[in-house]
Amino acid sequence: MTSSHSLDSSFLGGRIPPEIESMSKNLKDVDQEMFRKILKAVVSALEGKDCREVMKSIAESSTIPQERLSHIIAGMYRVLSEAIRIPTASLKQEAFRDDLRELRIPEDFITDFSSVVFGNRRAALDAATSQNDPHLPTLEDFKWRVDVAISTSSLARALQPSVLMQMKLSDGTFHRFEVPVSKFNELRYNVALILKEMNDLEKRNILKIQD
Amino acid sequence: MTSLIKETESIKEAVTFINAIDVNKFSRLISRIIQKLHLKGERTFSEEEEEKLQAALSLDKQALSLVLETAAFMLEQAVYHNVKPASLQQQLEAIHLNPDKAEVFSQTWATAGPELVEKLKHSTFAPKKLEYVGWQLNLQMAQSSQAKLKSPSAVLQLGLRNEDSEVMLIPSCSQTSWTLRNVKQLGFEFADSCERKSAEKQRLTEVQENAFINFNHQELLDFYNKLEIVQGQLDSLT
Repeated sequence: MTSSHSLDSSFLGGRIPPEIESMSKNLKDVDQEMFRKILKAVVSALEGKDCREVMKSIAESSTIPQERLSHIIAGMYRVLSEAIRIPTASLKQEAFRDDLRELRIPEDFITDFSSVVFGNRRAALDAATSQNDPHLPTLEDFKWRVDVAISTSSLARALQPSVLMQMKLSDGTFHRFEVPVSKFNELRYNVALILKEMNDLEKRNILKIQD
Repeated sequence: MTSLIKETESIKEAVTFINAIDVNKFSRLISRIIQKLHLKGERTFSEEEEEKLQAALSLDKQALSLVLETAAFMLEQAVYHNVKPASLQQQLEAIHLNPDKAEVFSQTWATAGPELVEKLKHSTFAPKKLEYVGWQLNLQMAQSSQAKLKSPSAVLQLGLRNEDSEVMLIPSCSQTSWTLRNVKQLGFEFADSCERKSAEKQRLTEVQENAFINFNHQELLDFYNKLEIVQGQLDSLT
């Protein structure tokens, strides 16, 4: 990726999506207040909230015909969703602003866009959007217990330790199971091994290159 | 020291039969029984083998079964109290078992006993047991909502085995929900308020259930630290 600002290296990629093209044509009819209202609604849509009511009230209170309004909203949504995909380390604010200037978006609106992408709500926005992505469940709650079996129906004096684990996963499944001491050692060893491999992986040069 | 075996009528009868058996045959018999003693549900001898034994030891079916059960019982008591071989021999002679047979018992116990005790110590029961640990380390490059990730992520596979390998599914009253019940030896229990007379029973053999868990670096580190605490507790026991 070069740092020159030809259309090829816009954060939007080689081709400008059609909704963004049509948005920039229509934005000149929008005043700052209206723009900010729409921006707020688009951000909460990105966060996954239901904003049909808000959109309805915006549509009713504005003089802009609905079709043009929908182009504007679609374009704004696309600009933001493409921008927040890219990690902040890779997309610098100046580059972002330049790209938007190329699209002939008014300067004030560029500032508003920037404040969403680079402001302090960004981390929350990222967390909200990544929730919809497919992933295997993570460990939400982990409880354990160490027991010693003193005697059983077969042995008056057993004195055998064992571990009982209870795991609640992020998809709601619940597992409660016993871990014999030998298996526990195996589990612990394997987890340590994965950690070591992760550390080795993170140290490797390929991960240090910023792109 | 509490006596291991009370001399009941059936014990007396069994002892008479045992004393009549040839000592070499008896020795092989006892070895076989002690090997299978830790497998609670299984028969020590198959039907065919029992028939052969009846012929070889000149015992009828009932007598053979009494002999086998009594021998097993004597060994189980030895395991339960973890007696010394000499003490076992003494106790058996006290209930009028011939010295040669008592010696067979105590010798077999001396050789195979400790291993049996270890096996039984480790065979605890719990609804689910961890049997298999597997893992995979991935480097996630991107997802729908984020490009250019390069974040390591590990997937841990825990294979959990259900202790009861046969599981019954019984419907509750609502048509779409099913309740899982474990059925071992007793009959079936229907949900109290269930109106349906005949339940559709599906016999499932559930061998291993897999739990797949995703961890990023920090999550895995937290998990490992908890495992370390558990290890500390285990260490403090010894």
